[in-house]
Amino acid sequence: MDKKTLIKNVIGLAARLAVAGIFIYAGTIKLLAPAEEFAYAIETYKVTGPALSLWAAYIMPWLELFSGLLLAAGIFTRFNAALCGALLLFFEALLGQAWLRGLPVTSCGCFGSGSSNSLGYEFLQNLVFLALAYLAFRRGGLFSADSALEDKA
Amino acid sequence: MINKRTARLAVLGGLLMFVAAIAILLARQFNVGPARPAPGFRTFGPAGALVQITEYSDYACGACRAAADAAEKMLKVYGPDVRLELKHYPLVNIHRWSLDAAAYADCAGEQGKFKEYAAQLFENQEKWGDAKEKPKEFEAFASGLNLDWPAMQACAATPETLKRIKLDMAEAEMKGVNATPTFFINGKRAVGPAQFTEALRKFDTMLKARRQPPAGNCPEK
Repeated sequence: MDKKTLIKNVIGLAARLAVAGIFIYAGTIKLLAPAEEFAYAIETYKVTGPALSLWAAYIMPWLELFSGLLLAAGIFTRFNAALCGALLLFFEALLGQAWLRGLPVTSCGCFGSGSSNSLGYEFLQNLVFLALAYLAFRRGGLFSADSALEDKA
Repeated sequence: MINKRTARLAVLGGLLMFVAAIAILLARQFNVGPARPAPGFRTFGPAGALVQITEYSDYACGACRAAADAAEKMLKVYGPDVRLELKHYPLVNIHRWSLDAAAYADCAGEQGKFKEYAAQLFENQEKWGDAKEKPKEFEAFASGLNLDWPAMQACAATPETLKRIKLDMAEAEMKGVNATPTFFINGKRAVGPAQFTEALRKFDTMLKARRQPPAGNCPEK
């Protein structure tokens, strides 16, 4: 592996761990709080009703945690990087519509139901993570279970 | 057909998810997680107190009434060494008006008289607890305390008030609370006034030792 490729792969690894870390953190913090709290945060986006919000609040944190863990370990790296990217796009759509509609969202629900930054800030922050997820997708194979098992095979 | 490598990765991923799920469920069971503070009017004592107590209570429950008296005495005796946080856990299946009582208590709290209104609810729980129709006592207690009843009614009907109570209930359920009163004293569970008093005794020696300077100590030179 030449130096240029190595640098690219190291950047990809850093991006993979950054995205995985944020997903693990976001999922865990929500899972350790009552689902109803997160459900209330989802409701403020005025996209889903209370019942659907509660279901989303039950499922989404597990999805975040598992995809983050698998991405961190480099298991099905590309698939999980793509999944994280798709989730980030979905969050962007939710944040964007709330931002455009001027909805009074006091907590974005991104990291539990505690207070959060402005919608605009969260939107831009997610864009950064989206870019990192893309890097993880393209170059996130270094020190991954995928590559370790490939080497053995 | 799934090849050997994919199968190995799937097993590894499955194991990782299994371990993570167990860790999360255990963490929930042991109440590891961000605490959602009760509003100021339901919190008594300094934030940095040595003994931190969270109580889940229902205004129509007789044992909660006894516990409220014990808690009141405890606050008087231990003062700044104890912090008590009251959270609502109305047992709506057996106490029809508990949720309303909790909402009115919070709304009395918004007007600065949570403690007084809560005391009225406990003292007269036999009058309103089993009422067939919506109890008139809620209004009578408010009038007796010079509270703005129309404002309290409006406050009790807001989604924010209901949300606050429902979140207390959801939190209690996640902590495995299924009886009232349930206390968490520095994280340790005590159910009922007797266990609460017993648990407090354990802190008594510690708090007394903390208050008295060690023998032979020269405080200032």
